[in-house]
Amino acid sequence: AKGKSAAGLGIDEEIEVTRKPRAPRVKLDEHRLLSNNGIPKLRKKAKNLKFKGKGHEYSDASRLLAFYQLWLDDLFPKARFLDALAMVEKMGHKKMMQNARMEWINEGKPHSGVH
Amino acid sequence: ADGKRDVVDPEVRAYVSSLVTALGGSGADEDGRYVLGDDALACLRDLKRWLKLYDEKANRLDVARCLAESNLVGGDLLQILAAWPENATDDRLKSKIALACLELLVPLTWPLSKDSKEMTVNHHRHVPYLETAQLGYKRSIINFDGARILHTAIRCALPPMAVDMGDRSTRDEGIIKLLLYFIRNIAMIAPPPNVQYEGDEAEISRSATIDAFDYQDVFHLLLTVSSTIGEDYNTQDVVVLDILFHLIKGVDIEKLFLDEKAADNSKMDELVRLRKKEAAMLRNYQTNAPTRHNRFGAMAWLQREDAKMTTISGQAAVTDSSRGLAKMDATKKFKPPRRALKGDNGPMDFDTPVHLNVQATKHLREFIEEFLDSGFNPLFNHIRKAIDREAERVLDFFYLISWFLEAERVRRRNKKPSKVQQSAVSEEVDSYSLVASVLNQEMFVTLNRAMDYTFEHKSWQDLSAAMKCFTQILLTVQDMLESPLEDDQEIAENILNRIFYEETTHDRVANITRTYKDQGFGYLDSCTELSHHYLRILEQYSKQNVDLQVRSRRRVRRKKKAARAAGQDVADDDIVDESEGEDTTRAERTSHERKFEFKRFAARFLSQGCVDTFVTFTAYYNDLKSSQLKRAHRFFYRVAFKQEMSVMLFRVDIIALFYKMIKGPEGLDPQSSSYKEWDEFVKQILKKCTRKIQERPELVVEMLFSKINSTAHYLEYGYEKQTVTTK
Repeated sequence: AKGKSAAGLGIDEEIEVTRKPRAPRVKLDEHRLLSNNGIPKLRKKAKNLKFKGKGHEYSDASRLLAFYQLWLDDLFPKARFLDALAMVEKMGHKKMMQNARMEWINEGKPHSGVH
Repeated sequence: ADGKRDVVDPEVRAYVSSLVTALGGSGADEDGRYVLGDDALACLRDLKRWLKLYDEKANRLDVARCLAESNLVGGDLLQILAAWPENATDDRLKSKIALACLELLVPLTWPLSKDSKEMTVNHHRHVPYLETAQLGYKRSIINFDGARILHTAIRCALPPMAVDMGDRSTRDEGIIKLLLYFIRNIAMIAPPPNVQYEGDEAEISRSATIDAFDYQDVFHLLLTVSSTIGEDYNTQDVVVLDILFHLIKGVDIEKLFLDEKAADNSKMDELVRLRKKEAAMLRNYQTNAPTRHNRFGAMAWLQREDAKMTTISGQAAVTDSSRGLAKMDATKKFKPPRRALKGDNGPMDFDTPVHLNVQATKHLREFIEEFLDSGFNPLFNHIRKAIDREAERVLDFFYLISWFLEAERVRRRNKKPSKVQQSAVSEEVDSYSLVASVLNQEMFVTLNRAMDYTFEHKSWQDLSAAMKCFTQILLTVQDMLESPLEDDQEIAENILNRIFYEETTHDRVANITRTYKDQGFGYLDSCTELSHHYLRILEQYSKQNVDLQVRSRRRVRRKKKAARAAGQDVADDDIVDESEGEDTTRAERTSHERKFEFKRFAARFLSQGCVDTFVTFTAYYNDLKSSQLKRAHRFFYRVAFKQEMSVMLFRVDIIALFYKMIKGPEGLDPQSSSYKEWDEFVKQILKKCTRKIQERPELVVEMLFSKINSTAHYLEYGYEKQTVTTK
């Protein structure tokens, strides 16, 4: 085959058309949510969250919303805040997420199971 | 059109137009009067045959198109009808010709169906043209100068109507139906959505139709037919229903029953209100608008953790961090794929509001009042029976019931002030028997069945109409409870009692509310309205105090005694033989039991789905009326405080919505009536939310997600719900 192609000046040789595969679209899926930058970080940061309480309801709420917005902007910069929230909410129905959620809740529970 | 590129077979066109020409015409010799051709009757019959044997059989619409192009309706048919003078009713030939005209007018004005399965190439070609042509027909029919066309059409059907129902021939019945279909078609024709009508809208608007119907005695006809249905008419019920539907759909009842002076005032008020709303919007914008020119070029850094920076341009970021964040969000381009809402704007659409002018309002109101007084019960009773026999299209049936019930309620309310003055004649207080035909048990069965069926088959518009109907029935029943007539009170109590213990209905209402997805705003409005009133009325019923129950039992006993005294044979009932004291204890027990029942029932609305539905509804807050905003407010208030499951509202998007409603940008107008209660409510919710987060740090994560009930319960109370009883 090599000889032939040399004789034919390489005309017969099939040219391999390689298209560069398109960069995979970044998705907000459960793996991203469970990664270090995801909910674990949210939980860590939440410890610094301070509220002023009575009489400052609206400023507290705006601080809370800003907290979530900045976290989501780090995690998934391309989507708007409300869109990203909807996506996260949707992910919450996945089995993997539900297990993780149960774990986080159980961590917070008092260890003695007596009521 | 030029011969080469004609869309219709030239031969067909030649035949049809020669027939139209032979029909007759006007000329200078006769001072422009219309003169019938020699064989006009035969021509009319031929044209009818063409429509039937060519268009209908081959499913083509070609002849209809030719007739539209040759101006048969305006040029010939209407002229012929106009030339049939009132005093010549006995002229057999003329009445025959008039009838033949009517027989042509009905198929020509027949609604064009756009059922994609049956549409052929020809349909796609002709339907847009014919739709415009039909608008022209309607315009010339209701605005015809020389004569009252609709009135003339009615005259065609008078002889058969005069005959007793038993003695009518099939042909007689057919003529009556033909006339009613003609009126239905006229009422139904409207500019198709998303098409700009080129002529004067006012000439074919709903107002013009109503005025024409009043002037040309169509309303009299409708009243006659509907009030004697079952006696003199039988099969015409559905057509009458259709006519009514196309007359009243979308008409605002409140406005209809304002008297003229109040209507003028309310128009001024409305202008003032709208100007205020606009001013509020501008104010809102101005507080956020840049104070310098647009090339001032401020740029701010937002310091983030890990020594990261975000840049935000414009002054907004410099003054206020939350506005800076909003700006940062607004510059993002990515949009997740989204499905469009399913809206329906076809002829069956009843959510689009219609405006009537003063004249038409007056005429329609008179008609509606007379209809309620005479035609409502017979017509709706008759149709309900027809529906029970065989299921058919029920959309307009339920919509009409809801509309008329609301009309009746508004009419009563407007009447009240004068009633108080002449309280001496309290004997005259009319009962609710005028609308009784839709409050009986059979109606509930029909309605329940329809709701089940439509819900199962996903015909959302029908379901929406049925829900509206149910809502209005509930509201009417509630009004009846306050009626001074004992009979009315008793009926209302019985109905409420039945609804209160009907678990299937509870489940259905909660289910419908829970499963809203993308059925459009009209549906959303009716389902939130239903669940709001349903909850509210049942709550009131469950709270009904002991007193009232004792009184009602006493009433029953009195009646039974009276019946006994009259010598009637009454089945021995325990109520008769009880004493007052027993009554009280029994009443206490029932009221206790009812409170428990209600609590259980209301818990069905605690699911995330119901909350989501109301959140979707509230997201339209800037376009909602204050009564609608109140509806949403009451629901959330119930969830958060009455049933103490505020956790269900602690989700970031809900909190963001609430925050935006009050603090903007584009929030509620602070001067509006609902702002205050919402402000109060949102403040309470936010307070609870921040406190809860400090109490239970897990909530920070859970705030992102929908919670299932057990999680929500744990977050709210700090312990798991006990579901399994230990022995």
